[in-house]
Amino acid sequence: MATNNAMIQVQNLTKKFGKLTVLDDISITFSKGEVVSVIGPSGGGKSTFLRCLNLLEEPTAGHILFDGVDICDKKVDINAHRQKMGMVFQQFNLFENMNVMRNLTAAPMKIKKMPKEQAEEKARALLNRVGLIEKALSYPSQLSGGQKPRIAIVRALMMEPEVMLFDEPTSALDPEMIGEVLDVMKALAESGMSMIVVTHEMRFAREVSSRTLFLESGHIEEDKPSHELFEHPESPRLVSFLRKVL
Amino acid sequence: MTFFTNVWSTLSKYYSFFLEGVQNTLILAFFTVLFGTMLGILLAVAKLSNFKPLKGLATAYIEFFRGTPLMVQLMFIFYGLPMIGVTFPDVPFIENFQRFAAGIVAMSLNSGAYVAEVIRSGIQAVDVGQMEAARSLGFKKSQSMIMVVLPQAIKNILPALGNEFVTVIKESSIVSVIGIADLMYRTNGVKAKNYKTLECLFIAAMIYFVLTFVSSRLISLMERRMRRGHK
Repeated sequence: MATNNAMIQVQNLTKKFGKLTVLDDISITFSKGEVVSVIGPSGGGKSTFLRCLNLLEEPTAGHILFDGVDICDKKVDINAHRQKMGMVFQQFNLFENMNVMRNLTAAPMKIKKMPKEQAEEKARALLNRVGLIEKALSYPSQLSGGQKPRIAIVRALMMEPEVMLFDEPTSALDPEMIGEVLDVMKALAESGMSMIVVTHEMRFAREVSSRTLFLESGHIEEDKPSHELFEHPESPRLVSFLRKVL
Repeated sequence: MTFFTNVWSTLSKYYSFFLEGVQNTLILAFFTVLFGTMLGILLAVAKLSNFKPLKGLATAYIEFFRGTPLMVQLMFIFYGLPMIGVTFPDVPFIENFQRFAAGIVAMSLNSGAYVAEVIRSGIQAVDVGQMEAARSLGFKKSQSMIMVVLPQAIKNILPALGNEFVTVIKESSIVSVIGIADLMYRTNGVKAKNYKTLECLFIAAMIYFVLTFVSSRLISLMERRMRRGHK
């Protein structure tokens, strides 16, 4: 594992909900430019792991270093760090009270103090890239299932994050919508964006991500370059998991 | 038909009594809603805070004031508190200020507890994902609340708050027992003068109904206008 350009270092991360241990002493490093898929059975702790990375879930124990700074430290301004970590949620969570344009420009304008014209220009450029420029003035309730995740991705990109976190971005979609969302993610990966993707899409994990983690029962059972993990799974649990999903 | 003739004659002879009653009822309701809402906002914020003692205090307050009758609270404040030396001052030029103050304070304290629950549940009905998405972009908790959660919560809160306002108008009739000259008090006064019990109560009921009906119409009009703002 390369640590010289380490971006996120997870050290002995443990997360418990009451008595239930969801993540058990996980240590791992993510480097700049990596596209990492996190796969595993439901309830294995994938989403919790991702949500710990930007502290939407507070770790019970352990440390998370982002660009060398321990963001679990109470003295650290977590809001400043979250700006550099874009997140796309399973339910997308677009702001229902704002139209698409305001969804996109709210954070850059309020947090980065970007002038309105500049923010809107940037938003239009990104909307063009995902083919949704005509939706700029629509409200989230007027968007189709396949459009919402693309807007959610653009909203996160507006902050020019160093890394994008995806929490099962396609699992709430109809099958025919999944492709267009994966295409956007693939283009993003090819542009050099660092990505950590919790996914059930094995083809995405295998073909787009450079590295894949198999997370089960709170442990990282296997952590390898994607093609190797899929072609030569070692742990019996991964073998049986892959047999079920492939 | 004598009933309606009696209603008419009662009204034409004593309308100034009823009018004064309406005026006082509206003044009472206005200040109750004003102070009750302010108190309710504070209580809701306290109850939603992560600071345990504050949260506990707000919860205890809300439970207590919703769990005891307004009548008892009113009596407690107007008759009980002076026993331990707590009285409202008399203000020159304002007749019966003491009684009015006690009535408004009791009703506001009571209404605040209900309003707090309306606001709290309205805020909690907004999907937690909305707050999380805002936080994930780097917004502070307070910014997320103001920009994202509250505008959505308002849509849940307003109808229930409207109901609370209408309730206040009706409940305010209780203050007549401590001698505030509200609509109910004046109705009793007229009743004692002309012995037309049924007619007087009929008039009072009609006036209360008009008051609540008009205000609930106004509120739903406001609601509709707000909803047009965003889908």
